[in-house]
Amino acid sequence: MSRGVSLQEGQLLARSLNVSKSTHLVVATVAAAVAANAAAAIQLTGLAGQVALLSLIFVTLALGTSAISSDIYTRSSQTIANLRSIGASSRSLSSAVFFSVIGYGVAGSALGAGVGAAMGIALGGQGGAVSVLVAVVGVILASSAAAAAGVYAGVRRTWRN
Amino acid sequence: MAQLGILQRNESSAQGKYSVELKHVAKSYGDTEIYTDLHFQLLKGTFVALVGPIGSGKTTMLNMFAGLERPSSGSILVMGRDITRMSEDELGGFRASTIGLVPQVQTLIPELTVRENVELPLHFAKVDGESRQRKVDYVLEKVGIRGEAKRTVSTLSVGEKQMVSFARAMVNDPPILLLDEPTEALDPLMAEVIMGLLRGDNLTLGRTIFVTTHDRRVTELARKTLRVKKTIP
Repeated sequence: MSRGVSLQEGQLLARSLNVSKSTHLVVATVAAAVAANAAAAIQLTGLAGQVALLSLIFVTLALGTSAISSDIYTRSSQTIANLRSIGASSRSLSSAVFFSVIGYGVAGSALGAGVGAAMGIALGGQGGAVSVLVAVVGVILASSAAAAAGVYAGVRRTWRN
Repeated sequence: MAQLGILQRNESSAQGKYSVELKHVAKSYGDTEIYTDLHFQLLKGTFVALVGPIGSGKTTMLNMFAGLERPSSGSILVMGRDITRMSEDELGGFRASTIGLVPQVQTLIPELTVRENVELPLHFAKVDGESRQRKVDYVLEKVGIRGEAKRTVSTLSVGEKQMVSFARAMVNDPPILLLDEPTEALDPLMAEVIMGLLRGDNLTLGRTIFVTTHDRRVTELARKTLRVKKTIP
């Protein structure tokens, strides 16, 4: 998806599309909140509950980030038309939003998972260090994958429309 | 139906001779026919003005040349390539390297600086950083706004924005320049700067220039004038 799109071009496009610090903050905080709760709860439940929690993380974050990326395009439709009139491709426009948003989703997930792991231990989680680590990694992977899938789905849906 | 004066009608379409060729092009919006059978060619390096009443389809024709609007039928060849068969992304890449467009409505990105706006088409054409810098400096110097390079576009006057638009259209050194009412809403000084560039400045010399206008001063500069004779009902 990133092929042929430079960092500087991506940053210029993201600014053109008004992908602002507020957008980044929304993505990061939502990802952090979901990951923190999941990382804490996952230590207090059995295997079936853990699978259910990871699935819930994935669906929730995918839906949220999909809506955010769709919104970026919808409110910038005129800007997109202007950029396309001077040669912007759908690939470069998609990549600009994808990479501008995804980093904050991953960072928020990692932060939230760390906090959640500590909360889980404080709440009396029974697992050892290894199982806590596995839980944290699982939550980070699930939420990062969800953010990536959500942003990508939002971008694709917008182009189809 | 609007009818145009015809340029080079029915001449053979020798490859490399024409910058734009329209082959039996029709365009309609719903039941409203704008053009029914446009068939003509523009020679490379020519300067053509398109005049006609408001709402007669001048901008539509310009947009079809740029691939921003597709004809209802027929084909349009730009520098020998049929743009009516290109995908949107192919068209984007083709426009970035072939067509400089100065639209009637400002399409600059207000949040970006003058330099960043002018630089955008070079990013899309994958021009390297050093060349981008050099090309942007050159074109800003030529249109007289290098001193404004760091200003945000939203702080510029209408005339200054038009100059930025012109610089952005020229920065990629395109063989074809399309201008939609370039002197409209400009003060006399700014209009004179634009006309000076169209008159044969190094920046525009040798390019195919197609301009829609109501400004007699601009049509007097053109080698040929096409006239839309009837307005759309």
